[in-house]
Amino acid sequence: MSPTVIYLAVFFFAPFVIVLLYAFGMIDIHRQLHFVVSLDYYFDFFSSVAPLVFGRSLLMALATTAACLVLGYPMSYYIAVKSGRQRETLMLLVIIPFWVSFLLRTYALMTILDVNGIINVTLLSLGLISQPLNLMYNTQAVLLGMVYNYLPFMILPLYASMEKLDKALLEAAGSLGAGPARSFLHVTLPLTRSGIGAGSILVFVPAVGEFIIPQLLGGTESFMIGNLIWTLFLKARNLWFGSAVSIILIALVVLMVALYMKYITKGEEMAI
Amino acid sequence: MKKTWDRLLQGYSFLMYVFLYAPILIMVIFSFNDSKLLAVWRGFSLRWYEALIFDPTVWKAFYNSIWVASLTTVISMVLGTMTAFVMIRYGFRGKSILDSALYFPVVIPEITEALSLLLFYVFTGIPLGAVTVAIGHIAFSISYATIVIRARLVGFDRSVEEAAQSLGANELRTFFHVTLPLILPGVIAGGLLAFTVSYDDFVKTAFTAGPGFQSLPLKIYAMASRGGVSPLLNALATVTLIVSLCLALVRLRLSKT
Repeated sequence: MSPTVIYLAVFFFAPFVIVLLYAFGMIDIHRQLHFVVSLDYYFDFFSSVAPLVFGRSLLMALATTAACLVLGYPMSYYIAVKSGRQRETLMLLVIIPFWVSFLLRTYALMTILDVNGIINVTLLSLGLISQPLNLMYNTQAVLLGMVYNYLPFMILPLYASMEKLDKALLEAAGSLGAGPARSFLHVTLPLTRSGIGAGSILVFVPAVGEFIIPQLLGGTESFMIGNLIWTLFLKARNLWFGSAVSIILIALVVLMVALYMKYITKGEEMAI
Repeated sequence: MKKTWDRLLQGYSFLMYVFLYAPILIMVIFSFNDSKLLAVWRGFSLRWYEALIFDPTVWKAFYNSIWVASLTTVISMVLGTMTAFVMIRYGFRGKSILDSALYFPVVIPEITEALSLLLFYVFTGIPLGAVTVAIGHIAFSISYATIVIRARLVGFDRSVEEAAQSLGANELRTFFHVTLPLILPGVIAGGLLAFTVSYDDFVKTAFTAGPGFQSLPLKIYAMASRGGVSPLLNALATVTLIVSLCLALVRLRLSKT
């Protein structure tokens, strides 16, 4: 065990300490350590485009989570009420996309949306359009890419919570005179809350820091935190400002996960 | 009423499955297209695969990917088995901290982990290359491997170990002749997951590779962001995809034994 602890301490936790040192200006350009804390990079943060980019990323992640929830919920339900082999097969079909990396799936979407992609070529040859449509490099394309990639992350926990659902409760609600809408709102929805919470966090957290999807499918109007960090570190080589941006992202993610934990335990208490 | 509702749900779910699979299938199908244009079908051909075979940069990227993934697998398997064992068998101070520490690399956005490692290398002056990429991959693969192997150890019947020891085998001998063969499917499953995570990784590799190192995902990304879609890239993506799917199928088989 101790080799693992040492490994994670050196190559996982120590690097985060170094990010903190950079973010507070304690390491200079000659890699010298100074014990003077500077908040300059945080002041820079608020006078730059970064707050706008953060706001946009949060909105994109929120929209992705909402879309995955709305699209994934009926599908999870459909799978959960099936029985035996059929259910296994349908679930396997949701899991298989997990085995294909985000990069490949995003590229696969490009072959559909590109100027020379399937949609444009088909519409052009049918004479429905005379100019190829600009389906890529905008916010809608990024959103489509996000939903496409993250949907299985939502379906899995939703399915897990529905599978456990006691169907007798729904029958009871029905025999007591509740219509389908009412029994959905008052029985199904509250009982699948843990799945909704888990699915939302599994989609939201990585979606905020997403890089590949906005980079390949988006344009300047859909520039997200991941793209900002990429540009600052690998193009502009501004390690200090980049670190400050990253610290704010990490703080945000930790806050989200903490809120989620609180919400989930509270929900479980209420269920008991 | 109920019937139409069921029909609607079924039709909807079918469309969602089409949404999940159509892009990947189209990408694969058009990699066999005998045309320079991506989406105009001209007949079946293997010309793009032939072009891949004669491209030395593709071979180099493939070699780099496999090399890094293999190194990651071996180290994650050894460390993951040790960690899983200790966590299942012994109680010790800080166990719950280690438990949550293991989930950290799985939960946080990969880009933050990637840039922190880059800063670590910059600060310590370690030159970037295949080794720095592998170090980064191992850092999160240990977690994946440990989680998988630990899940396999939960139901382990310890009476066989006791039997071996009462027949005179020492602890080391018991481990290699009794315990390891029994948990081997779990260890291999953990190793395969580590291999897959490393083989597919883009973000961490991009930050820690430096200019001289290219893996398959880096090559695909470079081609996609520079030249956009092309049948050649479809072919490269298809080959990469097939390797990932084969690894996943072996994992699936192992989890059923």
